[in-house]
Amino acid sequence: MRHRIFVAVALICLWGTFVVAVAQTVAKSSQKDSKSDPAATKTSQTEGEKRFQANCGRCHNPPESISPREARAVVRHMRVRAMLSAEDEQLILKFLAP
Amino acid sequence: MVGRVLLALTLILCGLSTARAQSDIPILSGGAGFFSATQGNNTFFQPVVAPVLVVPFGEKWLVESRADLRGFISRENGSTGPYQGQFLSTLEYLQLDYNANSHLTITAGRFLTPFGIFNERISAIWINKFQDAPAMAAIGIAGGYSNGFMLRGALVSNDRYVVNYATYFSTLSTVNKLESERTFGGRLGVFIPSVGLEVGTSYQRKLQDQRMNSFGAHLSWTPSGLPLEVKGEWAHSLSGHGYWIQGGYRLSQLGGPNSAIGRLEPVFRMQQFFRSRLIAGDSLPSTNVHRPEFGLNYYLPHEVRLNTSYGRQFIAQSTDVNVWEFGITYRFLFPLLPGESK
Repeated sequence: MRHRIFVAVALICLWGTFVVAVAQTVAKSSQKDSKSDPAATKTSQTEGEKRFQANCGRCHNPPESISPREARAVVRHMRVRAMLSAEDEQLILKFLAP
Repeated sequence: MVGRVLLALTLILCGLSTARAQSDIPILSGGAGFFSATQGNNTFFQPVVAPVLVVPFGEKWLVESRADLRGFISRENGSTGPYQGQFLSTLEYLQLDYNANSHLTITAGRFLTPFGIFNERISAIWINKFQDAPAMAAIGIAGGYSNGFMLRGALVSNDRYVVNYATYFSTLSTVNKLESERTFGGRLGVFIPSVGLEVGTSYQRKLQDQRMNSFGAHLSWTPSGLPLEVKGEWAHSLSGHGYWIQGGYRLSQLGGPNSAIGRLEPVFRMQQFFRSRLIAGDSLPSTNVHRPEFGLNYYLPHEVRLNTSYGRQFIAQSTDVNVWEFGITYRFLFPLLPGESK
């Protein structure tokens, strides 16, 4: 009896994981689709560079190389340090990790 | 048995899935450096490591910390005798941040006291264009670190102007390495992006021992299109008043920022402090001090920077001395979890 319960719970969890993974993949691909406009991407990167120079560039140069995952943590850190608004944070992130 | 294996497998998969979904990874950043300074006949050396740890939790929470670990190596009798060293460690901040909304971050823990701009924005060894802090920068910062809570953010942020603020309350702590004073205060700044100018003002009220107010004003100017940077501060307290102003001009217009000349940055700083009253433990010079300084920094590839400077220090009722400084700093950044390569 306990064996069957274990199997049932495990199968339910596996199914849940599969559903979550598919949902994330779909969400990411739809995000990519919405961001696929090159002109819009370029505009937000330019604006991000402007915000970087205005807020961060006053104290230091941009990092020479940074991965997107690192960039997210760096920008969240700098949001607190440099008192950035949420909009500045997102635009600077697009500049650092396009 | 099969069920347990399946359950374990499922839990591992769930964990991996969550880890992949959790896009914000903790990072270890900061700077390392080696500094030497000669003041008059006294020479000392300081190897320094200043690690910064950033750990995001979810979308709104963040833990961040910075320490300063340094050795201080000098001759036993100042200018004579064998060299001796001591190790100094400081926890500069260890704070929990909550991004409540676009304009407000709530911070609790140990943080850099927000007064003026030097302590919060310039004191990091990989940012400061000179090796040491201006003498008057000790006004209004209560030792540099506060234990308590803080509210900060951008009150207004648009293309024409940005109004930023920070206000805090700090409690008394006498715990070794975690000392802080009972104070409250804050800073308000207005930044105009079109001209690259920020001006602001700071206030602090000390709520222990000799209760007193400190006032300050700061400016920061980085004109767009010019590799020029001008920063300055003025502050006043019962102990005295003073100012510092510094400028740096990166020669990147001569062949680009990565050319041999374009990596050079001449810098200048002038600082004066005028003592009004002797107050024990205020970390300020005991007499008036004037110090003009000239420097030359060189930005090498891979986040390495060389700092050199010469200054002449005029101290009231004492001998004037030359101050020569040389240093090298390296800024690093590592992810604390494996993942995408750079």
